[in-house]
Amino acid sequence: MKKIVTISLGLMMVFSLLASQQVFAKDPVKIGVLVPLTGIVAQGGLEMKMGIEMAAKEKGTILGRPIELYVEDTQVKPPVAVSKAEKLVYKDGCKALIGVFSSGVGLALAANIDKLNVPFLTTHVMTTEFYGIHPLVFRSGQLANDQTAVGNVKGILARPDLKEKTYYVLVHDYAWGHDAGQRFIDLAKENGIKIYNEDYDKAPISTKDWSSYISKIKASGVDGVYIAFITNVIPVFAKQMSDFGLQDKVKTISAAAPGPLELEAGGEACYGIFGASDWSWDVDTPESNDWEMRFWEAYKTIPSDAAAHSYVGAMNLFNGIEKAGSTDAEAIAKALKGISFDGPYGNVRISPKDNCMRNSAVLTETMAAPENPFGAKVTMKVLHTFTAEELGPPE
Amino acid sequence: MNIFIQIQRTGNLIMSGIFSTIIDLLLNSLVLSGVFLIVAIGLNIIYGLSRIMNMGHGALYAVGAYIGYSLVAAGVNYFAAILITPLLVGGIGLLIERSIILPMRKRSMVYTLILTYGLMFFLDGMIKLIWGNTPRFVELPAFMQGMISIFGTQYPVYRLMTIFLIAAIMIGLMLLLNKTKAGIIMRAASTIPEMVSCLGVNMGYVHMGAFMLGCAMAGAAGIIAGPLTTIDPLMGGEMLISSFVVVVIGGLGSLRGAVIAAILIGFVQTFTEFFITDLAMVIVYIMMAVILAFMPRGLLGEGRFE
Repeated sequence: MKKIVTISLGLMMVFSLLASQQVFAKDPVKIGVLVPLTGIVAQGGLEMKMGIEMAAKEKGTILGRPIELYVEDTQVKPPVAVSKAEKLVYKDGCKALIGVFSSGVGLALAANIDKLNVPFLTTHVMTTEFYGIHPLVFRSGQLANDQTAVGNVKGILARPDLKEKTYYVLVHDYAWGHDAGQRFIDLAKENGIKIYNEDYDKAPISTKDWSSYISKIKASGVDGVYIAFITNVIPVFAKQMSDFGLQDKVKTISAAAPGPLELEAGGEACYGIFGASDWSWDVDTPESNDWEMRFWEAYKTIPSDAAAHSYVGAMNLFNGIEKAGSTDAEAIAKALKGISFDGPYGNVRISPKDNCMRNSAVLTETMAAPENPFGAKVTMKVLHTFTAEELGPPE
Repeated sequence: MNIFIQIQRTGNLIMSGIFSTIIDLLLNSLVLSGVFLIVAIGLNIIYGLSRIMNMGHGALYAVGAYIGYSLVAAGVNYFAAILITPLLVGGIGLLIERSIILPMRKRSMVYTLILTYGLMFFLDGMIKLIWGNTPRFVELPAFMQGMISIFGTQYPVYRLMTIFLIAAIMIGLMLLLNKTKAGIIMRAASTIPEMVSCLGVNMGYVHMGAFMLGCAMAGAAGIIAGPLTTIDPLMGGEMLISSFVVVVIGGLGSLRGAVIAAILIGFVQTFTEFFITDLAMVIVYIMMAVILAFMPRGLLGEGRFE
């Protein structure tokens, strides 16, 4: 009897000690990651997820607490994204949301942010409607449509062979495509660049066979085409332009950067695509090269701009929470205004004026890649680097 | 107003190079119609004989495209791949028919509809697991990669070949259905299955053969269409919708109806994308709604399997 009592008391002491250790263990900071993992942009969503995960791993802790990412698939559908966001916030207890590829999805989330009451930082939404859309909504990632238009127009004006061309504008028929197309047309006209179709043509996102549009480009006699397509469709279009013999006759300028894996698949048919982007793995700075190798070691895939700007956006968010000193939504929002992070493409700062980032960017053209550690055969060669002030918008 | 401006502008540019543009549009329409036709014919063969609406048909088309891509990437001659791929997809169809369809054959059509709907997700998932999300481009033989001059317009060689390949498949199918014993049995079984059974024909084998043939058609369409556009995991779902539209407009079970509908849809879609891009997304569905409003059973009704 005495033995049983002694053993029981001993066990109780052990369990008490263990329980107290649990109480003292730090609760993780939960971050909801909303990315498209299925559908037409699944590859882009996967790259965004990689960038955010890499940032979480390198950051390690926030406020001395581990970072826990809860990843949900938006399926590029606004209603799905909103319900997933609700699940992340109400059920999983996430203190912030990050990610989102599509402008349509981003706008839907922004419209529901009062209800969710957590900060939402997008790393990929490009619509200009995001400037100052809500005190809890931020952008730190992919260039916005106006910034891309500035970069592309400046790039065209700087090249005599591009400046004299007439451009046919073709966009994907949804919010981002319309905004991107219109931004380019407005700025191009201001700068004397000839546009063939000022009311731009729109193609459904599901378009696979571009032959009708290519026939129209052929018939119009233009020598340039400005496209605003979802990234993984760009090489498909380029390939079909090449099939129709137009690759060398009609210069393609893109409002979005093509994904590296899709470029690899398209091969030589994807050479010659010109466009402004926040980053390319061709950027040759110590910070960029170091980041590329760390990404390659972690994921064994060609570093993409989707991963790079998601990484930077995530770092800005994590540092913002750190600066806020708490996971209170308003405190984080206040801390995010003006925050900046030095990453693979230099300093990326969230403007306190409109909650959107200002950073430098690059003008690129796709071509055969030089020898590189990733085995890539196609690169987005950096032709020019724009400063944040050049790209704007002004603060 | 925007639509009228588009039509006017497009009309102007056509007039400037009218003949070559029309040739381009006609050929593009034939290519698109041909791909829709092969897939829809396969769907109709399965429905016409077995009264099974195979929701996994689009996924089988995608499987065909990926198998074709893999064979070519492994060094198999492209034309050999065109012959091998439908056989492999037909083999997959055999597995599906024996394992999923056969146990449900005597039940209501809803069961096979739901099962093949699940099959669609399974095949889509397998595609992503094996080949990933990145689009694939088929490496064609060098002589197919260039352009050829047709009545003064330069047109991609492979696209032109597609028209002939599809025509060859249709001729082969016609010969099979009209000149072979198996084909004649299939046609008879689609209208008077009881009589065919009374004559000692094993209807189980007939259904099996029809299902395999339908799947093989989907596989053939996949490998032919793959190099035209791109091969990606979403291609199956998109083609399923298009093939259903063809089947519904043409008339369920009617092969002739499918031919007429595929040509109609191919031409309407191509010309609308050229003239009025704003309507490109919806024109086919508008056309379907109009046709069904006047002819609820499609152009040729719930037609004969011929």
